[in-house]
Amino acid sequence: MHTIKLKINGKDYEDEVEPRLLLVHYLRDKAHLTGTHVGCDTGHCGACTVFLNGKPVKSCNMLAVQANGVELTTIEGLARDGLHPIQDAFLDKFAIQCGYCTPGMVLSALALLQSNPKPTEVEIREAIEGNICMCTGYQQIVDAIAHAAELMGQSRR
Amino acid sequence: MLNFDEIFVTRNWFGKPVRRNADTRFVKGEGSYVDDLNMDCVYAGYVRSPHAHARLGRIDTSKAEALKGVLAVLTGPEVAAVTQPVGARAITRPARQHVMATGKVRYVGEPVAIVVAEDRYIVEDALDLVEVEYEPLPVVVELEDAMKEGAPLIFEEAGSNVLLHDTLTHGDIEGAFREADVVMKEQFRVQRYSSTPLENWAIIAKHDKGNDSYVVWANDQQPGRSITNVCNALGIATNKLRLIVPDSGGGFGIKLALWPYIVSQCLVARKVDKPVKWIQTRREHLMAGTHTPDCIVDLELALKRDGKVLGLRIRDRQNDGSFVHTAGIYNLIKFANMVGCYDIKATQAEMMSIVTNKAPTVQNRGVGKPVMIFVLERLMHRAALQLGLDPAEIRFRNFVQPEQMPHTTPSGEIYESGNYPECLRKAISQVGYQEVKAQQETLRRQGTYVGVGLSASIEPGTSNLGYYYTSRGTPEYMGNAEGAIVSMDYDGNVNVLLGSVDEGQGHATSTAQVVADMLAITPDRVSMNTHMDSLVSPFLGHSGCYANRFNDVDLGAVIMATKKVRDKILKIAAHMLGAPVGELRLREGGVCWTKDEGKSVSFKDIATVAYKQILLLPEGVEPGLKEVAYYKNDIAKLPNKENFNVQMTHSNSVHAVVVEVDVESGMVRFRKYVIVHDCGRQINPGIVDGMAIGSTVHGIGAVLLEEFVYDENGQILTTSFMDYLKPLALGLPRFELSHMESPCPTSLLGTKAVGEGGAIGSLAAIANAVEDALAPFGVKVTSLPITPEKVLRAIRETKVI
Repeated sequence: MHTIKLKINGKDYEDEVEPRLLLVHYLRDKAHLTGTHVGCDTGHCGACTVFLNGKPVKSCNMLAVQANGVELTTIEGLARDGLHPIQDAFLDKFAIQCGYCTPGMVLSALALLQSNPKPTEVEIREAIEGNICMCTGYQQIVDAIAHAAELMGQSRR
Repeated sequence: MLNFDEIFVTRNWFGKPVRRNADTRFVKGEGSYVDDLNMDCVYAGYVRSPHAHARLGRIDTSKAEALKGVLAVLTGPEVAAVTQPVGARAITRPARQHVMATGKVRYVGEPVAIVVAEDRYIVEDALDLVEVEYEPLPVVVELEDAMKEGAPLIFEEAGSNVLLHDTLTHGDIEGAFREADVVMKEQFRVQRYSSTPLENWAIIAKHDKGNDSYVVWANDQQPGRSITNVCNALGIATNKLRLIVPDSGGGFGIKLALWPYIVSQCLVARKVDKPVKWIQTRREHLMAGTHTPDCIVDLELALKRDGKVLGLRIRDRQNDGSFVHTAGIYNLIKFANMVGCYDIKATQAEMMSIVTNKAPTVQNRGVGKPVMIFVLERLMHRAALQLGLDPAEIRFRNFVQPEQMPHTTPSGEIYESGNYPECLRKAISQVGYQEVKAQQETLRRQGTYVGVGLSASIEPGTSNLGYYYTSRGTPEYMGNAEGAIVSMDYDGNVNVLLGSVDEGQGHATSTAQVVADMLAITPDRVSMNTHMDSLVSPFLGHSGCYANRFNDVDLGAVIMATKKVRDKILKIAAHMLGAPVGELRLREGGVCWTKDEGKSVSFKDIATVAYKQILLLPEGVEPGLKEVAYYKNDIAKLPNKENFNVQMTHSNSVHAVVVEVDVESGMVRFRKYVIVHDCGRQINPGIVDGMAIGSTVHGIGAVLLEEFVYDENGQILTTSFMDYLKPLALGLPRFELSHMESPCPTSLLGTKAVGEGGAIGSLAAIANAVEDALAPFGVKVTSLPITPEKVLRAIRETKVI
């Protein structure tokens, strides 16, 4: 067993973990943050996307011990009160169906909009290439991310 | 269809793109899917067969049981010894199968033993320690091999691998072929694929020692049916199983078949006396979850020289793998929809459900209709070319015309409404059909191969479940129906419960829109918990999310229950106001007297009387404001071979697609994608658009990317999303949608199905476009998927994809 210390959504965590424990299972089973989902086990679907030191990673492709000393943001940490503009935009544009891919999609969208506040449609589609949605056919998600870019642009002004 | 005035008091919400605020939890990561439920569970996993076909020998569980943290191991034969076999529905030959392997294994991944341990990781360790002896048997993978004389039998007791073989003839089929000027014959092959919901199967089972009963949480798509199946298998009374379906991460039919796993989970939960959680891995899902059957369909189309179709014969051979519960069902649905949008007077369908050593099949989005429309619309395209007609023109000449509605097909299916020619006209215009045709030659000279493809399809909804048993005898289920409970609370707000479940369609929002307009309130005052709980939800055997039935029977039940509540509210209000019911009107959360609008009572006041001040109730009125209603679609008749009316609503659409095929790489790229569809009245256009686009992308996956590939030993080669390819955002077109509205006369709101259409119409449209693009090379598309490799081989050598 190894001791890991990390910050998740601004809160300190310290736990004993097996060396083989996946980060996604740590988040879900030990930290009880179940907004991070498992969809494929192989890093293709992106449902397990979280922010690690400000960058998106797939938490099913990392061990919990590798997260020692890091700062994580999960979907639960995106907006403490109310909704982040991306979350709001997803509701506005019907970008949710079953909701299972949504946390990962929202975080991938955030990563895009942080580095590119005015993305083109192609850039949006490229940015979510690592996230599979089985329900929507992506179009309303793409529209939601474009809408979120507008909302965030307005709030910056 | 009811007059809207009988249903709605206001028209503020029905038909509007009301935001899915009821599902805000999903964007916040606060959904509660099965794996999110935290109840101090232990974990289960399955030892799965590495062989496609083998005698099952000794299973030694001792090493696994000795591992620290392992709580129990149960073998397939042990499970079989205490459970009833899986029931068949459509097949006619005897075939005995249990929920886990016993005696022999029939596909790679078949569950052979179940292990329970303290955590997921110990489970994985323990699975490797279970030693199983297998005596390999000859393997049958492809359906042609399974049909051969002397082929190894999957179920020895059946005496054949063809478990359903029936031929159904309607109209003068011999006459049609006698009178034909031209007979088109083609054979098409469609691969195995699946809609692969992003959340895999998930179950928590808990045994309650005190009264020897079970509570199960599962992402089950048809809980109404699963309850009886699980209880029959376990040999327990149905009041000993409480089934709860929380949020579910997509279904598409693929979660209709997880009930056999609920059976084994109940058994281990009882054994370890703790809640047991099983979360299927993606590999398990792709390998041994459920697929659409692969099939070979032979067609013969009898035509006059002017393109008029006189008759259609199909011979549908379907590889149903090895799950007796579903075998044969796709055949019947293909048959029911074999004339598509056309007025064809004579049909003959020979159907064969063939078992092999492939994985189980289950009703995937569209169930057989994607294949049937694919083969029909491919053949119409080929027939047009043969007769020198435009592919659009041959369709215009054969459509069921709007003035023929309601139209009964030869097999008895009743198309209630729709304007098929107008739908095609709109699509042609929107896609720029003539312009593409005009540019094709010029582009080809520049080395750009562009093609345009059309497909006209029907999208039926609300299946009459009696159809499963057509070849077999008395149905276990008939018709289709749903139950709902609607209550007005203490404070005048509304609660709704359905027997059905939500797989992501936003039922809570659509339902709230309907209830809000029935009670003159806002949708945010309607709360609907979409989680199904058999202890409290009003369910039937039909209850579930499948067959495009929400808009019809689910909302039918909600409307009927809301009407009951409304009637009672009016009765109490009349008493309170001292005015006759006929002179009252619902207005903004209350009831007023039309003769003096100043005289009114709020719902809260009415609820106070109903729940608390019950001595003020009018005589003969019971306290409370909670009503239950069950609603069945009344047009369902007992299906039989002569009158096979098995679907109760019929949407329709045309997909018009422009593709460009890169003849160097074999890649197919979309230039334009138009969908014109008619699902009758829409409840929430934002949700409808998502259904139409999402289902189309399922079709695109099937036509271009997805295939479960097996080698000659029955080993499945596609068990992750690295080799089983799903559509991603970048390769997809921007879909252009147009809507038509032919209200459905047989559903209360005039609504029709919208969940499956794209998965049905897209296959042929894209294949026709690809064939059109490759016309200079003389390439014909007869199989799916259209992979770059197949495209290149066809261009360079075979001329056939």
